[in-house]
Amino acid sequence: MSPVLLILVVISAILAITMLFAKNPITSALCLLGILIMTAGMYGMIGEHMVATIQLVVYAGAIMVLFIFSIMLLNLNTEERDYKDKPALFATALALGFAAFAGFGLAIWNHFQAGDVVAKGKFSPEMIKTLGGNSKVLSHSLFTQFYVSFEVISLALLIAVVGAVVLAKRKFD
Amino acid sequence: MTNEVLLQLLAAFLFTMGMLVVLMRRDTIMILMGIELLLNAANLSMVAFSKAHHMIDGQMQVFFVITIAAAESAIGLSILVNLYRNFGSIKTQSATTLKG
Repeated sequence: MSPVLLILVVISAILAITMLFAKNPITSALCLLGILIMTAGMYGMIGEHMVATIQLVVYAGAIMVLFIFSIMLLNLNTEERDYKDKPALFATALALGFAAFAGFGLAIWNHFQAGDVVAKGKFSPEMIKTLGGNSKVLSHSLFTQFYVSFEVISLALLIAVVGAVVLAKRKFD
Repeated sequence: MTNEVLLQLLAAFLFTMGMLVVLMRRDTIMILMGIELLLNAANLSMVAFSKAHHMIDGQMQVFFVITIAAAESAIGLSILVNLYRNFGSIKTQSATTLKG
């Protein structure tokens, strides 16, 4: 286990807890931004450079700017903005969270105890190196094997753009 | 503990935290941020498993998930702005038009 990866993991876990308990939404948004940047770092460390770049540019760049921009735009007063927890709901939700995490942990433990249940694919690190690197392999795959999905996703983005403009312009009575 | 186990455990933890944010917070903006955290946790899990099994399908899936997340947050935030314009509040309990 690499120590740098462990540091990234610990920082993002702390940021996630802070995000859950923060009073002010802008604190939560900045914590989420931190988590996304840490995740990009982890992708980079395990050798997924293309995914790390996309994560930084699209997630940490575009989406989080949109979130922080709308928090600023709404300009809520303190009464409206701050988070007040209800103790009963809080305890129930935390217990549920603990149970869910225990379940996930058990599933992960079982998976790694069972050994190699899935046959290894052909894209081993050596193979990817021979083919010209992670970004080249992924880009080639995106425009050959997955080209239909790529086109469909561009259509989905177009629909989202039109929908956002319509929703922002229309006056509802 | 290897890198794979560590990343899977972190993905599970982030997913739990995202779920708790969606369940516990009453602001629509926090719920949207919780959904982003859930998607991010799922992405991390997919990339780590795909890398461990020497495949690239997980990474391709993650590209599409990130694109859908971008579209979803754009639509979600414009709905949020409309909600604030009409009800003067972004709390979930203020939008009760459909409640009988």
